Amino acid sequence: MPSANCLRSFSQLSLDATAHSTAASRFLQPRVACFSTSAARHANPQMKKKGMTAAPKKGVKTLNTKKSKGASNNDMGKRPAQGERKAQRKRIVLSNNNALEVSSLKDLSKANVLSEANQGLVMGLPEPVVDALRDVEAFKTTQGWSFFRRPAVLMRKEAIQLVQLFKEAEDSAAGATKRTIRRILTGERKGGKSTLLLQGLSTAFLRQWFVINLPECQDIVNAHTDYAPLEGSKPIQYTQDTYTAGLLSQTLKANKAYFEKATITQKHELPVTLPAKAKLKDLVAIGIANAEASWPVFKALWTELSQPGQPQILLAAEGLSHIMQNSEYMNADVKRIHAHDLTIVRHFVDHLSGAKQLPNGGMVLAATSKSNAPTSPALDFRIKSAEALKTKTELPQWNPYTAVDMRTMDALKDLSDPKADLDVLEVGGLSKEEARSIMEYYAESGMLRHQVNDSFVTEKWSLAGMGNIGELEKNSVRTRL
Amino acid sequence: MVCRKIAQGLSRAVDTFGAQSRIQCARTARRSLQLPTTRSISTTVSRPAEIETEAQEPFTAAKPFDFEADDGENGAKGGQNILRTLRVVPASPSYFSAKPTFTDDFLSLSALLRKVATLPTIPNAEAPKVAWKTVEQYRIMTNEPVKTQRFHKMLHILRRLNCIHPQLMPQEVVEAMKRYKKPSQPGDVKPKPGVIDELGRAKGVGRRKTSSAVAWLVEGEGEVLINGQSLTEYFGRLHHRESAVWALKATGRLDKYNLFGLVEGGGSTGQAEAMTLAVAKALMVHEPALKPALRRAGCITRDPRKVERKKPGHIKARKMPTWVKR
Repeated sequence: MPSANCLRSFSQLSLDATAHSTAASRFLQPRVACFSTSAARHANPQMKKKGMTAAPKKGVKTLNTKKSKGASNNDMGKRPAQGERKAQRKRIVLSNNNALEVSSLKDLSKANVLSEANQGLVMGLPEPVVDALRDVEAFKTTQGWSFFRRPAVLMRKEAIQLVQLFKEAEDSAAGATKRTIRRILTGERKGGKSTLLLQGLSTAFLRQWFVINLPECQDIVNAHTDYAPLEGSKPIQYTQDTYTAGLLSQTLKANKAYFEKATITQKHELPVTLPAKAKLKDLVAIGIANAEASWPVFKALWTELSQPGQPQILLAAEGLSHIMQNSEYMNADVKRIHAHDLTIVRHFVDHLSGAKQLPNGGMVLAATSKSNAPTSPALDFRIKSAEALKTKTELPQWNPYTAVDMRTMDALKDLSDPKADLDVLEVGGLSKEEARSIMEYYAESGMLRHQVNDSFVTEKWSLAGMGNIGELEKNSVRTRL
Repeated sequence: MVCRKIAQGLSRAVDTFGAQSRIQCARTARRSLQLPTTRSISTTVSRPAEIETEAQEPFTAAKPFDFEADDGENGAKGGQNILRTLRVVPASPSYFSAKPTFTDDFLSLSALLRKVATLPTIPNAEAPKVAWKTVEQYRIMTNEPVKTQRFHKMLHILRRLNCIHPQLMPQEVVEAMKRYKKPSQPGDVKPKPGVIDELGRAKGVGRRKTSSAVAWLVEGEGEVLINGQSLTEYFGRLHHRESAVWALKATGRLDKYNLFGLVEGGGSTGQAEAMTLAVAKALMVHEPALKPALRRAGCITRDPRKVERKKPGHIKARKMPTWVKR
């Protein structure tokens, strides 16, 4: 017969394993028989719990609910104020005091902006144009303006093509048939599409055109601003009062020279009364002040601009694929509103598609984006077929298994038509001469510390994917190797 | 029955003697030419005192035994008598050592070295690359438990022999070294030289990790297309772009060739570095003289590292499960 002592120790064996673990952990962890000596492999490692320290040897342990100043809350630095970080993110810096002044840099002016002799040169943007471009939000945070003393642009091959289009438009404006030139800027990522659009805007400002720019199409359709159905429209359209007011204010600031002189010549139906002898500037100011009147004011402004003798108009938009699909806004049936049902977008797309012509001639420019672009199969298809027409290759076939957005297809149908004047302007890589020119500008600004010779230019040109200007800047200015 | 056993044993003994003497003949003949020989195993210069005391034994193998000579007189009984008086002398003096073949090899090599020691040499680095047999292979060949250290001493002699100026290398030494070389030597397998095809393209293939790349290089001005995309489109990181064209960049040829690449498998790092090798090989077809420069740039050697396999009982390749006390 075993002794009582022996039995007790056996029972103790199974007890002391349970005695130290809490009830919860008993369920969580696999129980191991106490008389097994093999290690329980793959068992969850037992975490030490915080605050489960043993009782102090001396004194009493008291509850301390105050936040300890030393251990957990070390950084007592000042937190950024509300909105400060966003402002930092969105800030556009156009000059760098540490960069050297480039002595050979010539400014673009009204006289020389249309000349083809500028090809391959880096040209500075004059101060008033920079202000106007800032007003229409043509500069982006992702562009490298902050590296140089003042904004300057490379007059690349595509820029010269664009400038020639401006010249054509101006020439036709003098004649009887006023042409509306419509172009979509496409090309690879970081290829300089937005900068080319900016060059177009600056040309328009220099040539004293009237400029309306939609700085980012995403902002129109992402349902961040208020919207309301437009009365008397069928099918129903939606106005965006706040956004339109903002657009009016940008336009007013950017086209200051025009508004100084412009007067009201027509009779407009407005929800607010205009003071007598009001100028066009006052009309727009009313639209800015009363957001609900902004869309009628915009229409009134457009009517004024349509009168004969008014300047040519440049309509520009950035991030085209956002407005070539359903917007984020919902209608009364909680269905997505198509972007073309928003009044501002409709206004732009009508002119881009050729449904309406600019009354005094001018240009409609739309830039696509490759980094911030929702998929728009119809837009991609139309652009591809336009490229196929240019290269005289076989036209692409529509993939029947993708959902087709017929409104986009119809709006851009001129792209597939060789006779229509809607076309793509492909922004490709720089040539080696252009790359050399811009790299010499980098070097003269002191941002590229290397001798600019043929082998160096070719190396950077190759590494930048055959002259992709964004990559070229990234390789030579942003990264110091 | 006993008689029959003895007769069998005898005939076997005679057979082996005959065979051994035939084999050893050539060796003894050579040895007689190479007098004087020393018995010392060490390759260091022996001290003069030892040389004085050492007596050079002229050594000859035993003559084959002639059983027929006495046949007429005593018949079979006479043969037995001769065998009784026979004192067998082994073919090699190292017969009674523990490793006779190794000792013989070592002695013959050191004798050979002494003979050709005065010939001009070239530095070890310039000597032709030879893959010598490993000690394991030598042990299997000789069937003797040769010590590694001893074997390495022999290798020292062989390397010294290999350093003789190639133009003055005696045929004798070449023959002697052959016994210690591996059957296949480095440089035996020569890859087919690349050709530039009628369109001016040179092809190269490279691999890294699980990626493989094919590169075609034509004369041009630095345009690069990889899988039909430009370098920036295909490789997002600047580092990878530089890796892909590193062979051209390191040799300053980036502006002289156009490159078309097809890459598949693996991730972007593997693909970029597979391109490095492929481009280097294609470049060597155009300009074979660039090989040393490319080797210095690290574009020649294939990096053999791959993902280590996971083992049973481990969580990853090497990670073990957490140790739990109970």
